[in-house]
Amino acid sequence: MDQEQLIRQIMAEVMANLGKDSVTFQKKSPTPGGSIGRDQYPLGEKMPDKVKSATGKVLADFTLDKVKSGELKAEDFRIAPETLEMQAQVAESVDRDNLARNMRRAAELIAVPDDQLLSVYNALRPYRSTKAELYGIADELEQKYQCKVNAAFIREAADVYEKRGRLKVD
Amino acid sequence: MDEKTLKGIIEEVMKEMALVGAAAPAGKPAGRSEHGTTTLMISEGGQAERGTNPREVVIALAPAFGGKQTQTIIGLPHDQVLKEICAGIEEEGLSHRIIRSFKTADVGFIAHEAAKLSGSGIGIGIQSRGTTVIHQKDLPPLSNLELFSQSPLIDLETFRAIGKNAAKYAKGESPSPVPVRNDQMARPKYQAIAALLHIKETQLLDPQKKTQELRVDYR
Amino acid sequence: MKSKRFEALDARPVNQDGYVTEWPEVGLMAMNSPNDPKPSIRIEAGKVVELDGKQRADFDMIDTFIADYGIRLDNAEAVCKMDSLDLARKLVDINVPRAEVVKLTTSMTPAKITEVVGTMTVLEMMMAVAKMRARLTPANQCHVTNLKDNPVQIAADAAEASLRGFAEEETTVGIGRYAPFNAMAIMVGAQVGRPGILTQCAVEEATELNLGMRGFTAYAETVSVYGTEAVFMDGDDTPWSKAFLASCYASRGLKMRFTSGTGSEVQMGYAEGKSMLYLESRCIYITKAAGSQGIQNGSVSCVGVPAAVPGGIRAILAENLIAMALDLECASSNDQTFTHSDLRRVARSLMQFVPGTDFICSGYSATPNYDNMFAGSNWDADDYDDWLIIQRDLKVDGGLVPVLEADVVAARNKAAKALQAVFKNLGLTEITDAEVEAATYARGSQDMPARNVVEDLKSAEDMMKRGTTGVDIVKALSKGGYEDVAAAVFGMLKQRVAGDYLHTSAILTRDFEVISAVNQPNDYRGPQTGYQISDEKWAILQNIRQAISPESI
Repeated sequence: MDQEQLIRQIMAEVMANLGKDSVTFQKKSPTPGGSIGRDQYPLGEKMPDKVKSATGKVLADFTLDKVKSGELKAEDFRIAPETLEMQAQVAESVDRDNLARNMRRAAELIAVPDDQLLSVYNALRPYRSTKAELYGIADELEQKYQCKVNAAFIREAADVYEKRGRLKVD
Repeated sequence: MDEKTLKGIIEEVMKEMALVGAAAPAGKPAGRSEHGTTTLMISEGGQAERGTNPREVVIALAPAFGGKQTQTIIGLPHDQVLKEICAGIEEEGLSHRIIRSFKTADVGFIAHEAAKLSGSGIGIGIQSRGTTVIHQKDLPPLSNLELFSQSPLIDLETFRAIGKNAAKYAKGESPSPVPVRNDQMARPKYQAIAALLHIKETQLLDPQKKTQELRVDYR
Repeated sequence: MKSKRFEALDARPVNQDGYVTEWPEVGLMAMNSPNDPKPSIRIEAGKVVELDGKQRADFDMIDTFIADYGIRLDNAEAVCKMDSLDLARKLVDINVPRAEVVKLTTSMTPAKITEVVGTMTVLEMMMAVAKMRARLTPANQCHVTNLKDNPVQIAADAAEASLRGFAEEETTVGIGRYAPFNAMAIMVGAQVGRPGILTQCAVEEATELNLGMRGFTAYAETVSVYGTEAVFMDGDDTPWSKAFLASCYASRGLKMRFTSGTGSEVQMGYAEGKSMLYLESRCIYITKAAGSQGIQNGSVSCVGVPAAVPGGIRAILAENLIAMALDLECASSNDQTFTHSDLRRVARSLMQFVPGTDFICSGYSATPNYDNMFAGSNWDADDYDDWLIIQRDLKVDGGLVPVLEADVVAARNKAAKALQAVFKNLGLTEITDAEVEAATYARGSQDMPARNVVEDLKSAEDMMKRGTTGVDIVKALSKGGYEDVAAAVFGMLKQRVAGDYLHTSAILTRDFEVISAVNQPNDYRGPQTGYQISDEKWAILQNIRQAISPESI
């Protein structure tokens, strides 16, 4: 038993080091101002005092009693852009750049109300919108909610839809 | 379309159905009607318009229904299927209008097209293999009021109930949904055949062609 | 004369299944089609100008999306030129670490990776799955549905499923408008059985997102993608709309994975003459490109199509492997019914059961199949003991654990009662004591009294209009005296503030600790490495109620 445990422990250490080597091989320059990586993960367990909700409440202070008393409301259970940025950095630290990109697009969308988010999604479906409508949506998201990445993404979609004949036709 | 071309098409379909029938797995030809089958005579009457009659239900057929294909996956003749749906609608005192979609063979979209053109906002979409949807115009295309996704489980009685319920929705009622039959063994038996039937249906699509009003006769 | 041998064979379950011969021109071919494109990639000024034999000017929507977002470009041209057989060997070789393989596979084009796995036998693919699965510990997922959309039964079945070990539970509806009730029922039931179980409700995209935003679900899975543009249009989406949807989920702190599978394109009639596996590989690249953490694949609802053609079950394993090789969470199907034959269904499942995947089934029917509203699963509640004993026979952890009847009955009863309290305190339709009693002991919906469907649908619609959320469910549970269940639902809601479970292959322990491919990555490198069944776990898996101990005689 002891021997098996020892072997396992050594294996685990070797593996962990191997993993780290392979990561540094491709690692990008660290995100400015950020030092969040796999070592801080899971954030909710390791740094609940640093994780805040979209409404600015600290995760470490979340209790069931506060839900019952009405102090915590539905809108308090929303992730904050800063948290998603930290999660994006965690994703990058394990070489998952696509996931990180999705998290950054998501971070921008936190400010957009539920109904509007659903309507933007529906507008992006095939044959739903004209090119001008999609550009208009992009402008609105950019100006009203500072969704720069999403705005560019929607404009790009509009251009591709135009090329492929997937815009609204009357 | 003249009589000769029509005859030609019917012959071709009969031959094709014989082929598909031969490829089908052994099993009883469930649901085939006992009494004599009429021939469905369908002709196109120009681009389908948005209806204004609030007491109508629009039925949209997939491209091959009652044309290149003549029966559902379990061998229910298309003329009887259509008759049952229409009878269901009539029982509720409503009228029906039949159209054909050429842009897509997806049952959700066909049904949604029917709903959008229906004066009541309620439509039914049906594929040649029998898959059917009851739709309402202000729902998203792939949502629905009622979906009958397992074509091998839809019998004539169910088709009548579908017509009846669609009419009830059109009247603003909230009917109990038609009981959904569920047989997990339909997939292993029929899914690949269903794919074949659907491939043949999509081969008839014409993205340029507008949805057509249909005149339907049973002879 | 009819041969009696053949007469007997014809009557066997396996001959109730449908089979078709290959038809490569319309894509009715599982893999290795002569019509699949040859791998190629050309990059100019950091932009892909040629992908798998197509020039940029000829790209369809999917090509464009994959070329712009789906492939790691630094090394892509070099990897494309490498020998596919050598690459396949690296996938299988225990001496080549997963991280090294991922660097290669994520640089491949869809045609290249299809060609690579196309050289492998199922045994080699299973070896590769053992190494390439993202999370160290395998897990399982179940379906909790019923023919009548009875929420009381859903709650009871969900509680039992949690007890039995499923890490995720999925419901859906017969009637679309039941979705809010079913979503609530599976969440409450699952948390009764074991805190930390992730639940979802598979419905139309926009509705599913809405349920998630309200806190009725913890994750989403039915975000379907397709391998040809025409089918994508019939699916009423584009790669851009789906990628946006992925971000919508993450913006509300909700876990999400995409869904795809071999056969969907040919099933929907537009396969462009390509093999099912090549088209599926495009789906997996779309998933990767969109930044989804994972995918449910393995033909899924189209399984009858690949299963009807030669090599179809091999293609299903191959598509799971491609997903894992692209460093995605893989919920590996083994769900929907594809055969009448018990032998075929076990053989099909061993492909994922033996090496272990993030979710071996996605899902296993937690009800008898007559109640499974995903049109039946390859495994159902009546197979629970078979699954447990196969685990015990092979010493494989397939995600389930033996349970005691008394524990199951108690959990079912508590779940039904907890939901009764929620309904009462939220002013919804009544759940009677008779229903609670029936759900406690039911095998399926045939044992449940009928509910007033029209009243339920009205009540669900009113609730949605009132803006009821997960927080209201927590309060309703607490008010009903189910403090522990309230705490568990609260624990689930808290997850969305931290976002830790947005990462690849994340599941939660009963103490709400996140386990994912970030903090517990698969490190398999051959015998005695990777996930090993601990002595404690083995003791649990061995301990089936049917076994007779020598001391007892």
